Amino acid sequence: MPISVVTKYVRKAYTNFATHIFDAPPRMLAFLILIVFTVVPYAGVEPRRLEILTSANLMAILAVSWDLLVGRTGLISLGHALFYGIGAYSSAMLFKYFQWPIWVTIPISLIAGVGIALIIGTPCLRMKGPYLALVTMAFPIAFIGFLYYFRDIFGGEVGIQRLPQIFPIPPFSLNNRYIANYYLSLVLLALSSIIIYKIATSKTGIVFVSILDDELGSKACGINVTKYKLMSFAISGLFGSLAGSVYAHTMGGSATPRYFYDNTALIPVENSIIPIIVTILGGIGTIYGPIIGTHIYYLLNRYVFQYVIQIDPHIQLLIFTSIVVFLVVRWPRGIARAIVEKLEDLEEPREIEEIEKEKAKKVEKG
Amino acid sequence: MPLLEVENLTKRFGGLIAVSNVCFHVNEGEIIGIIGPNGAGKTTLFNLITGYLKPDSGKIKLNGEDITGLPPNKIANKGLVRTFQIVRPFRHLPTIANILVALQSYRGRKRVEWIKTPERKAMEMLEDVGLTEMMLEPAENLSHGDLKRLEMARAMALEPDLILLDEPFGGLSLVETDYMVKSIQRMHLDGHTIVIVEHKLHALMKLVKKVIVMHMGEKIAEGTPEEIAKNDKVVEVYLGKAI
Repeated sequence: MPISVVTKYVRKAYTNFATHIFDAPPRMLAFLILIVFTVVPYAGVEPRRLEILTSANLMAILAVSWDLLVGRTGLISLGHALFYGIGAYSSAMLFKYFQWPIWVTIPISLIAGVGIALIIGTPCLRMKGPYLALVTMAFPIAFIGFLYYFRDIFGGEVGIQRLPQIFPIPPFSLNNRYIANYYLSLVLLALSSIIIYKIATSKTGIVFVSILDDELGSKACGINVTKYKLMSFAISGLFGSLAGSVYAHTMGGSATPRYFYDNTALIPVENSIIPIIVTILGGIGTIYGPIIGTHIYYLLNRYVFQYVIQIDPHIQLLIFTSIVVFLVVRWPRGIARAIVEKLEDLEEPREIEEIEKEKAKKVEKG
Repeated sequence: MPLLEVENLTKRFGGLIAVSNVCFHVNEGEIIGIIGPNGAGKTTLFNLITGYLKPDSGKIKLNGEDITGLPPNKIANKGLVRTFQIVRPFRHLPTIANILVALQSYRGRKRVEWIKTPERKAMEMLEDVGLTEMMLEPAENLSHGDLKRLEMARAMALEPDLILLDEPFGGLSLVETDYMVKSIQRMHLDGHTIVIVEHKLHALMKLVKKVIVMHMGEKIAEGTPEEIAKNDKVVEVYLGKAI
């Protein structure tokens, strides 16, 4: 086969990696969504309400990192809120005891997230499937217990209050702070989902999927499965703790384990469940699906159920889960994939023509 | 020095002795068949050699180096690669990416350095087994015969010193079997050392120069296909005792 044909095939393979097989969103769609979100603060949305979107963006980072771990590598984690907590607490502790500035503590909290992921992962990733899921579920609960036990150091139920804000009040007005926080979370979400998406579609990402599909098979290919599993876990922990530490320094200015007296909590059970529900809703293994899922969740739970139709907070999750069940039955592979497939259907006629042309060319060449 | 040496290999599963005191060796460039009735311990032997199971006693040497008890991925990186009886494709990945996974391993990466692009190497591997057309299809859309060939290509991508094929003709049609026999013959002519476990004796006997017969975990005979066909013990195992 001549080299030119090979190169053409390879290029075709890569475009295919980026469209069909890995279910990439068409770039236009991503771009449009980004524009919509950029305009939101000026589209008559009350600045105070932007907090919903800010926490949705940060939760979306956690959900995307969950998707890399579970949807791409097949390592089920039911306790991803742990990383949220680790990120916030390591940053808060460094502030409390050393008064280090935010731009030092947040990067260190990322390292802490990776470190904890490696420490937990080394023994636990030997387990498979439901066993790993059960163990990971225990970690956030154990972490809360740990915080309560050493309450003198970690502040117990109250946590660590009065953390410095990334956008402090004196230079910023309250409204401007909401807007600044929102844009910060949007930029972080865009950056981390792009990075995670790049990792997932790189050659390393291909190896992750091979572990999801068949672990014994990848061992037979000479892949050091443990190394790649740890890598996936560490990347996931890195972005999870990024979301957590930024959350602590923007939303409430506090690191609190469970809901105590304000609306900001890092490691309640919900924070481990939300990434799972929204990823299944958005499309598992798509990377961008969880972003759509998280925004649907926050839009319904924090806005529609509170301000449009008042629903008692106790049954909000029940109603939301029922809606998710309904949506998942309708679109079993996730909303995001459904949208992309619709868009691809629109493009299809042209593609068939192209394939026909290529075939004709091949016949001519003999 | 033989390429692969297996010395007194034994594996017990509780009271059952799956592989008992098996010794054999494979020289470079040889093509060897391992046959035996169901449950003779052939696949267990493969699993022991490639590190999926740890032997209770005995030694396995590759190129004179002791590889007993090493994990499967290390053994694959040392150049001893296997395929599976039941295919193990990466079904979410396109066919070509299945091979890129192998090229992402330590040995695989070393093998592509001078060719520069792993994609081109993966293309060549697919072309060898005739899967170029299916290159971009997710592996889950491939037929069983294609998957068998894909798995072979994936193993060959590591450029193994020794390749162990576990029932390469299992579940294949006559045409596909012929194709497979031809590609194994081509691999052999290219100088690859091959060990095959197979039930389809007809296809196997055409291929191999030396046959090892196993029964109840023990090696009962070794020799050329002609010798094996005449061996009383082997005939007894396969057809039963003469009355």
